[in-house]
Amino acid sequence: MSRISRREFLLSVLAGLGGLAVDQVLTACSPKATPFAPQATLQPQSTLARPTNTLASPATLTKPNSPTAITQSEASPTSPQPTPTQPSAGSPYMVVARNGEPEDMLRRALAALGGMEKFVSKGANVLIKPNICVAYHTYEYAATTNPWVVGALVKLCLEAGAGSVRVMDYPFGGTAKEAYAISGIEEQVKAAGGEMAFMPGFKYVSTKIPDGKSLKKCDIFDDILKTDVLINVPIAKHHSLARLTLGMKNLMGVIRDRGAIHQNLGQRLADLSSRIRPTLTVVDAVRVLMANGPTGGNLDDVKQLNTIIVSPDIVAADSYGATLFGLQPDELAYIKAGAAMGLGSSDLGSLRIEEINLAA
Amino acid sequence: MSTASIVPPKPKRKRLRGGPVGPWITARKVVQYLTLIIFLALFLLSARGGLAGNLINFPMRLDPLVMLSHLLASRTFLVGSSLALFTIILTLVFGRAWCGWLCPLGTTLDIFSLKRWRGKRQEPPETWRSVKYALLLTILVAALFGNLTLLVFDPLTIIFRALTVSIWPAVDQIVTVIESSLYNIPFMAGTISTVDGVLRPVILPPEPVYYRDAVLFGAVFLGVVLLNLAAPRFWCRYLCPLGGLLGLFSKAALFRREVGEDCKGCVLCKQVCPTGTIDPEMGYASDPSECTMCLDCLEVCPRSSIAFTPGLKLAEWHSYDPNRRQALVAFGSTIAALALFRSSALTKRETPHLIRPPGARENNLLSKCVRCAECMRACPTSGLQPAVTEAGLEGFWTPVLIPRLGYCDYSCNACGQICPVQAIPPLPLEEKRAQVIGRAYINQNRCLAWSDHVPCIVCEEMCPLPEKAIQLQESQDIDQQGNPITLQLPSVLRERCIGCGICEYKCPVNGEAAIRVYVPGTEVPF
Repeated sequence: MSRISRREFLLSVLAGLGGLAVDQVLTACSPKATPFAPQATLQPQSTLARPTNTLASPATLTKPNSPTAITQSEASPTSPQPTPTQPSAGSPYMVVARNGEPEDMLRRALAALGGMEKFVSKGANVLIKPNICVAYHTYEYAATTNPWVVGALVKLCLEAGAGSVRVMDYPFGGTAKEAYAISGIEEQVKAAGGEMAFMPGFKYVSTKIPDGKSLKKCDIFDDILKTDVLINVPIAKHHSLARLTLGMKNLMGVIRDRGAIHQNLGQRLADLSSRIRPTLTVVDAVRVLMANGPTGGNLDDVKQLNTIIVSPDIVAADSYGATLFGLQPDELAYIKAGAAMGLGSSDLGSLRIEEINLAA
Repeated sequence: MSTASIVPPKPKRKRLRGGPVGPWITARKVVQYLTLIIFLALFLLSARGGLAGNLINFPMRLDPLVMLSHLLASRTFLVGSSLALFTIILTLVFGRAWCGWLCPLGTTLDIFSLKRWRGKRQEPPETWRSVKYALLLTILVAALFGNLTLLVFDPLTIIFRALTVSIWPAVDQIVTVIESSLYNIPFMAGTISTVDGVLRPVILPPEPVYYRDAVLFGAVFLGVVLLNLAAPRFWCRYLCPLGGLLGLFSKAALFRREVGEDCKGCVLCKQVCPTGTIDPEMGYASDPSECTMCLDCLEVCPRSSIAFTPGLKLAEWHSYDPNRRQALVAFGSTIAALALFRSSALTKRETPHLIRPPGARENNLLSKCVRCAECMRACPTSGLQPAVTEAGLEGFWTPVLIPRLGYCDYSCNACGQICPVQAIPPLPLEEKRAQVIGRAYINQNRCLAWSDHVPCIVCEEMCPLPEKAIQLQESQDIDQQGNPITLQLPSVLRERCIGCGICEYKCPVNGEAAIRVYVPGTEVPF
């Protein structure tokens, strides 16, 4: 190795930094998905083929009462929020679509809410956060969000003029690469023109939760805090501690340390939801997991409901989701805490809910 | 011929700083670097999700010492092991060409030849060459009696282990620190994200990985390289048991180095020979079982007096080559040592947390595992770690699952796919999920719910079984503030538990987890 003088070394370092700066200017900001083709040891069923039983018998569980109130909800979140939009006069607060293909249900639901353009402005960077919590089972087991629901959301966002649509989650069981493939979500997202992204450790930032009553700060994934639009897409599942995992529980996927949060789960999920305000919450209840959640694994525990709930209000969406399992919203500690903090409304009777039955 | 002029004539080609040059040298270096790059590429792809297992592990299967020892110890013949015959045939034709052209550790030692720091040092005595034969004999005798511990001295396992456990994780640490610090600079964030997306998860793992013995094996590897300070290719000359095995085969090699009659004793070949086997007192002849066929001497000889020609006679036996007495000593001492190992308490009772990879426990792991660490590399959670004390000296460096460091992923069967000797059997995923590798026990004195009356049940949440192995019972209790609380108290359904360890991994109790996986029992479940 030849010797270089101190001056030469410093000049080369400066040149390198200068080159990096130029590169930054020239490169597009969005990180590319990994080019490596995963070979899952668990072979997913080809998700591009039409799944059977999407139009099984309509939901038979208890429907919520009196969805026909005309008055708008007056609940308004108190914390600073990125872009959740207040329902304008004339459009409903929440839409529940039933008995259609996931994409059709989503199109009708978003149209009823005023169109995806209302939530996604031209050129916006969109992050979609589904539930990809494990790499264990394919989509029929209802452990992870329905891939067609996610794919359709990607499509709708791109049609509304989004600049980029990225989909991400950090599974607690298995690696993200495997989980993205086995859940079938990667295939649908790519087919729709979106990209999957990973959540590396160095991008979590310590974030204060100013309105937090129990949880005062935690490490949250940077992109989630900085994105223009955040769409929260949980799948409705049984959960032993939380009773049900819906939208507020799904937000746990964006934090790093998930152990201590269980110790006062109801309040802490509400605290987290006060800091992370998704633009839209889309509760996937096409298939729901009735028992042995959140990991599932038994097809007998899966129920086909063919329902999708869409709302900018995460508390309201979760409240409606609870009723699909025969529970009252306030029976779930985090819904109660969230409503008490003013993050949204759990009083379904007072909300303007539009129900769309595509089979009718 | 005037013997008075002892000044060596000018060499035919100008010798550059890097050593002799010539077409053969170039060819050899190209092959060396190419094979090293392929070896490293296979290492990178051996993390789970890369290529098929039996493609990734073929370097290990090329190694005749590993395959022969496995054959002796396990008395199992694997079709895949016959790849090692290629190396043996190569040796029977070209001598220790493996060492000079193909061995990744050999190439590493050539790259880090440390010539400048070595200077002009006197070479160690020739008798040291017998150490590698002694080690070889010990390995083979131990293998005959079912023990493969000494395969930790095989060069391929050394370099693969060092990469898996020490080198690559250390590189990952450096890259992660750079990423973390540069990410905070506002205009760098996008670039760092892009670079990270390229590096992970193929070149670097998605999360930093941590291994026990990382420092030890980094030090061992560094030590092997630093031995070059005493002599070039010190490891290959005096210590490498694979070199010893190939050396014995090389006695019958077809092509060997011959020195012609027009040699004038200019000593140049001796100066460049990396294994120091060229003997001026024997007319600059070399020992075929020490010559690694690097061809440096061929290119440097000013009179082109050296040739590598085919011949069928057996090479001479030197004083450092193994003899009958050595073999007997090796035999006796190995038996004595093995008897000593077997008399340790670990033969009577396993250590409580000896959790083996799925299918390995019933599979006679100790007499099959070649200590290559491929399974540890493939394990996506880095839960498979080297056994240090859990399995005694007999099981030293065999894989053991340490749930606190990584759980056995329910969606994965990579370790069985990649094991080059099927010590961990290649099971289809459904069968692997049915293997019981351990059983979980809850320590009620540490469990948050049982002991502190704090709601938790993370263990139950994480349990991957379709019918969970942890059940919850509701209990009306008082929390630590004195308020009434309904607690869910976990307990393990022992018949269902497969011991994957994700409960222990995720348990929020710091230090020793409140739920721990123990060796599976052999009694009928109650």
